[in-house]
Amino acid sequence: MVQLEAAPEFLRPDPFGGIVAPDRTSGAGFVRALSLEGARGGYVSFHLAVKRNTPGAYTLTLQFKGDAGKLKVDLFREWFHFTDSDKQYYPDALIPVEQPYRSRLPEPDNRVPRQTAQAFWVDLWIPADAVPDTYHARAVVEADGTTSALPIQLKVWPAVIPSEDVMLMDHNSYGTSWLAEDYPAISGKLGDKFFKSDEFFHLIHAYHRIFYEHRGIFHQLGYGHAGKVGPEFAPVLEGSGRRRHIADWSLYDRHYGPLFDGSAFAGTRRGVRPIPFVYLPVNPEWPASFVNWGEPGYETEFVNVVSEMERHFREKGWTGTHFELFFNHKKRYMGFSWDGDEVRFPVDTHYFLEYGRLLKRALPPDTPVKFVFRSDASWDMEHQFKELAGVVNMWICARDVLSWLPRAPAMLRGRGDVVWFYSGPPVVTQPVSTITQFPLEGWMWGVGGFVDWLVTGAGPDPWFHFDGGGTALVYPGDRFGIAGPIPSVRLKIQRNATEDLTLLADFAKRKPLDELTADAARLYNHTTPAEWWNPRPALADQPPYEWSGTELEEVTKPAMKPLEHIEPDAWSRVRQYVMQLAAEGK
Amino acid sequence: MKTLLLTAVLLVPLAGAERDMARELDDIARVASVMVEGDMCQRIVTPRALDYMFKVDPHDPWAAGDNYEVNDEAFNAMKKTLIRLSRLAPFPCDVNLWMPIAGHPDKVRVVIRNANELSQFWPWAALFQDMIPQMKQVLETGQRVTVTEKRGWVSVLAPVYNSLGDIVALVEAVSQERLDPQANVK
Repeated sequence: MVQLEAAPEFLRPDPFGGIVAPDRTSGAGFVRALSLEGARGGYVSFHLAVKRNTPGAYTLTLQFKGDAGKLKVDLFREWFHFTDSDKQYYPDALIPVEQPYRSRLPEPDNRVPRQTAQAFWVDLWIPADAVPDTYHARAVVEADGTTSALPIQLKVWPAVIPSEDVMLMDHNSYGTSWLAEDYPAISGKLGDKFFKSDEFFHLIHAYHRIFYEHRGIFHQLGYGHAGKVGPEFAPVLEGSGRRRHIADWSLYDRHYGPLFDGSAFAGTRRGVRPIPFVYLPVNPEWPASFVNWGEPGYETEFVNVVSEMERHFREKGWTGTHFELFFNHKKRYMGFSWDGDEVRFPVDTHYFLEYGRLLKRALPPDTPVKFVFRSDASWDMEHQFKELAGVVNMWICARDVLSWLPRAPAMLRGRGDVVWFYSGPPVVTQPVSTITQFPLEGWMWGVGGFVDWLVTGAGPDPWFHFDGGGTALVYPGDRFGIAGPIPSVRLKIQRNATEDLTLLADFAKRKPLDELTADAARLYNHTTPAEWWNPRPALADQPPYEWSGTELEEVTKPAMKPLEHIEPDAWSRVRQYVMQLAAEGK
Repeated sequence: MKTLLLTAVLLVPLAGAERDMARELDDIARVASVMVEGDMCQRIVTPRALDYMFKVDPHDPWAAGDNYEVNDEAFNAMKKTLIRLSRLAPFPCDVNLWMPIAGHPDKVRVVIRNANELSQFWPWAALFQDMIPQMKQVLETGQRVTVTEKRGWVSVLAPVYNSLGDIVALVEAVSQERLDPQANVK
């Protein structure tokens, strides 16, 4: 006998007919009928679970009844990852499937012993120009001549989620060598030609597309801690000293051209748009060789090449992207003598001042190309905010230190700086709602973006020996014959929360922002907005190189404690509130 | 003469391209032994950083890395010398600086790496590691040693002396037959 049930997005099904332990909450579970609501320009999502007690085949379909206009259904099979840390199965990777979907239980390739339930993630896409109405759909599973149906009602409110997100969700990665490992079907076929092939650049663009489609952006750092630059991340240089110049743009332009003019996003639901931010390949060894550091040749090489880059970008019309001068190196990796990333020793500040001077010299004052000087700040953040005012204008802040600087975001924004914060994705063994804390926290704090520091590191065997996904929000599709990444449950939930939050923030047009943040905090984790900040600790008056990691953790506990365990239905309550406001505004 | 003999013996089993590469790297390593100032090497990493290197705090696993610091004047000057040395080769190579650790004879640490991010010995992100037998040999004998343990890689290790005549460091002149342009871009 086959059965079809549904569960809210925050309750992940397990492969045996239940809900995974971290997501269980009283009064919520599987249902036989769904009533949903959503705003336009966004998604409404849920899980479907096909359950059968005996092994066998089934067929699943989900279709709107009557005229659904431009609404679309996206169906994904959920992969159950055997997770080494607790020996349990968690669904996370989402494999796109066509309808009708025909398979059997246990699902052959997932190899879950005694599996009795297969979960599916459903996205219902509501375009911005959809007609506000109540729509009806039906999911049906058929097996052994019997069927089980699940009716779905979707109320579409007139409210439209703004296309610009209130929090820019950024997804970081390093280099491209992992692409060859993650896509053996492609890299194996192409061999040495892989890293210059169209397939390679299509893969890179596919990563940008998947994050863009999930209301985010993607960063790939293109150089190492000692200054080695990947050839696809930088134009080719020739000569030295006053004769150093750019000799070849071809790989760089193949990589970035479609991203800077937006054509890489043709055919996406969010439309063609240039990527808003990108790392430059600039580091202490590129474009100027460190052998000349402190000498006229260093300045000449730096200024000449960066000037050439500005001219190239301007001539191409690439003016929609912020080009980031960013130093990622740390002295602990022995490439250079100062920390570019997460500065702990204030003595390192003078290098930033010098590069600020060089950058200024390289750029015409009236350039339409947007260059920014980015610093990922942690220990020495407070000092850097002061000393590097007017030099660094993009700040990616460590969550712990920023938590005791409540005036900083407004102060930085007030002087025109970009300010984001960073952390990493929660693992699958935590309640899946945990990932919603980052967009909400950023919004409560008044920052404009959040960086997941690494999102492409799914580990050597994410399928059968999963490390939990603390460095992954997408998975390589190679295993399923897909030449690109596939999304995760956590990425979908982050996207949906970002949409809700963007709409919520938009309601500030008719309701005071303070009320909105207070309501959201209360509903989310029973706090007030003030409780999302820490008091400035005494250690902040000591030089940061004297702080220990333990002390830092201790002093930031008050604000972090309420975020340690997020209730599975925490975001559901916020979402209900957003929908209530959407309904009031119709 | 003894050094030349040892190097020559070690070169015999190498294939043609590797042999040429080894010869070039050996030349660089030989020059490095003269040009690299051991006293300056000893001034690079601060005593405080060395002190933290071996402290173990289960609550703060990053303490050693967080407190790693160098005297930038000595580091930068030395790095420039190493870059210049690497340019003696007609192919991309790095000259890395390694040092023993006082009180820890079974450990060694890389102190300066360079732009091709090449090393036959450094496991990424290690502040220190177990002593490499060939490095121990260099530190004890003052003889240059050619290492080709990893297929396609050649490293020539050479001693670095301070003004007292003590061997206080060593250089690794290193290259790879086929460079991987994407490796270590992270």
